Amino acid sequence: MPLKWEELTSGAPDETGAPCVRADGRPCLRLTLWPHRSLPRKGFAAFILITYAMFLLPLMAFLGTAALWGMLPFMLATLALVWFFLQRSYADGALREVLTLKDDRVELVRLEPRGKRLGWEANPHWVRVEILPEGGPVENYVTLRGNRRTVEIGAFLSPEERARLYLELRRALG
Amino acid sequence: MADAATHTHDHHEKKSFFVRWFMSTNHKDIGILYLFTAAVVGFVSVAFTVYMRMELADPGVQYMCLEGARLFADPGAECTPNGHLWNVMITYHGVLMMFFVVIPALFGGFGNYFMPLHIGAPDMAFPRMNNLSYWMYVAGTSLGIASLLAPGGNDQLGSGVGWVLYPPLSTTEGGFSMDLAIFAVHLSGASSILGAINMITTFLNMRAPGMTLFKVPLFPWSIFVTAWLILLSLPVLAGGITMLLTDRNFGTTFFDPAGGGDPVLYQHILWFFGHPEVYMIILPGFGIISHVISKFSNKPLFGYLPMVWALIAIGFLGFVVWAHHMYTVGMSISQQSYFMLATMVIAVPTGVKVFSWIATMWGGSIEFKTPMLWAFGFLFLFTVGGVTGIVLSQAPIDRAYHDTYYVVAHFHYVMSLGAVFCIFAGIYYWIGKMSGRQYPEWAGKLHFWTMFVGANLTFFPQHFLGRQGMPRRYIDYPEAFAYWNKLSSYGAFLSFASFLFFIGVVFYTLKWGKRVSEENYWGGEAETLEWTLPTPPPEHTFETLPKQEDWDKQPAH
Repeated sequence: MPLKWEELTSGAPDETGAPCVRADGRPCLRLTLWPHRSLPRKGFAAFILITYAMFLLPLMAFLGTAALWGMLPFMLATLALVWFFLQRSYADGALREVLTLKDDRVELVRLEPRGKRLGWEANPHWVRVEILPEGGPVENYVTLRGNRRTVEIGAFLSPEERARLYLELRRALG
Repeated sequence: MADAATHTHDHHEKKSFFVRWFMSTNHKDIGILYLFTAAVVGFVSVAFTVYMRMELADPGVQYMCLEGARLFADPGAECTPNGHLWNVMITYHGVLMMFFVVIPALFGGFGNYFMPLHIGAPDMAFPRMNNLSYWMYVAGTSLGIASLLAPGGNDQLGSGVGWVLYPPLSTTEGGFSMDLAIFAVHLSGASSILGAINMITTFLNMRAPGMTLFKVPLFPWSIFVTAWLILLSLPVLAGGITMLLTDRNFGTTFFDPAGGGDPVLYQHILWFFGHPEVYMIILPGFGIISHVISKFSNKPLFGYLPMVWALIAIGFLGFVVWAHHMYTVGMSISQQSYFMLATMVIAVPTGVKVFSWIATMWGGSIEFKTPMLWAFGFLFLFTVGGVTGIVLSQAPIDRAYHDTYYVVAHFHYVMSLGAVFCIFAGIYYWIGKMSGRQYPEWAGKLHFWTMFVGANLTFFPQHFLGRQGMPRRYIDYPEAFAYWNKLSSYGAFLSFASFLFFIGVVFYTLKWGKRVSEENYWGGEAETLEWTLPTPPPEHTFETLPKQEDWDKQPAH
């Protein structure tokens, strides 16, 4: 599941040096969510390497001939293109939602691809986690309500993942 | 922050015809555009073959006269054979079929429409680049047609150098028709490379959660392997034909022995691309056939993992066997032995596929609906083509068969009867899903049987002609070859009639066909995700990720 819970080690007043703790004694938490991408970085490297190696097969025959300069540019251009577009596809999926839970503040930051940053914060005591199984923009639509706004969280996850996210959020905030 | 939208905003406005079809970024619409364009170009290309078979029906030249091309033989009038026109016909039939019909239909058409659906992706990774690929393909096709009508060699229109564009024929062909043909191939190559990058990125990075590589259905796998072949081999072709272009226009001598070049080098380059090319043509077909056979045997596919590895192995082997197309150019014995052995090795993964299909049907409850008939026809005829391929792979035997009709029969059995049968299987399998209307079953069956008989009648006698020593690429032949040529021409006319009938069936289906609304109208298990979607699918699919149990029918894999 593309999300990660971490305990915050910093964030308490610096001079105390104590770990960050919430009012009920539980640690401060940070939740990071990202959309699913099916190609791991190693897969990217493997794909580029195999493609490169296969290009060498015809190129070897041209070493030392003028025809090498007829072939090489096309192959390098193709390799560069496929590299660029795979990276671009990662960048298109570089969406992050970061939820930080502290003693007196819950903060949600949404980092969109290519730089846009959106934020929301509220007092955890008043925040309500809600799930809309049907009729929302997506199945099992999870929202946070607080500070006079309702914001969505994890809309890019799969429906089962959102159902689990809802329970985990309830536990963390409740 | 993204504010919650608690009521749906599903009211996508209806797009105008122009916006939907000319500025499309939707993978389903682009897939349909590819299919229709390929059909139009295919019609042109098939029309050429009918004209050629008319000419070959009888010895002597009756139709392609220097006095003017005729549609009706006229024994009274003078007729000087016009070899250029004949050469132009075979060239453009080859160029159009290889670059502008079969790959756009299978890879561009079905690949665009169904690959994202099978992997649960909302669209292609780069929808606007997808649109660019399509229009570059259209532009390439237009250049190809322009080349046909532009001043070429022998002070006539078009180039008659064969689809392989071998120098010195292609470097000495007059006029600018040849240059236009080279640009057409360039453009279609660029379009294919962009399309392939799009497919690769989509396949690698946009699979549904949980769908690891070896859980992906076979059709997307076949599209991925095809895309990779395109990516690896088209730059080689682009380099080759660019050198051809500079040899023609800028006085370089890459392929001219007078300046230290080597025409055989071009053949190596061309076939280093050309052999993978024939696998690009057939592999997506393998993917479609796998699903059709599994669906109509009402059984999951036998041997999924070996099937995937066979696809990969065929793709890889395709790169190391190219010189079996050119045994006669004067290679050393060891070179020929290598290419012969490597070529025969391809029979192993292909055999894995054929036997897995048969094993899929084994003990299944087989239903002979139209798509299954096409799949059956494919299986049988592709195997026949494969067997003659093994014969041709033998360098010594190839001395006798090289450039005879035996070769023509062989590659038409694997491509015309192989790949084209796959296209028809795919159309009948999915037309209900794509259009929401179903074809009349009897019409599909009639189309199949006429095409099956027609295509076999066309190409089977060509084995005999080849064995009798009839060379390919000639407008005329001695009396002795008349009998089988006549039969072959009858077969071509029957196939053409069945093609016209097919066009009628498609239009009837789209306009008046019986409406289907079931998601999984063929019944059985919905093994792949398109059968969990409404029929026809809405404009946007999988905007929310699909559930694993929708597509993972054998979680044990």
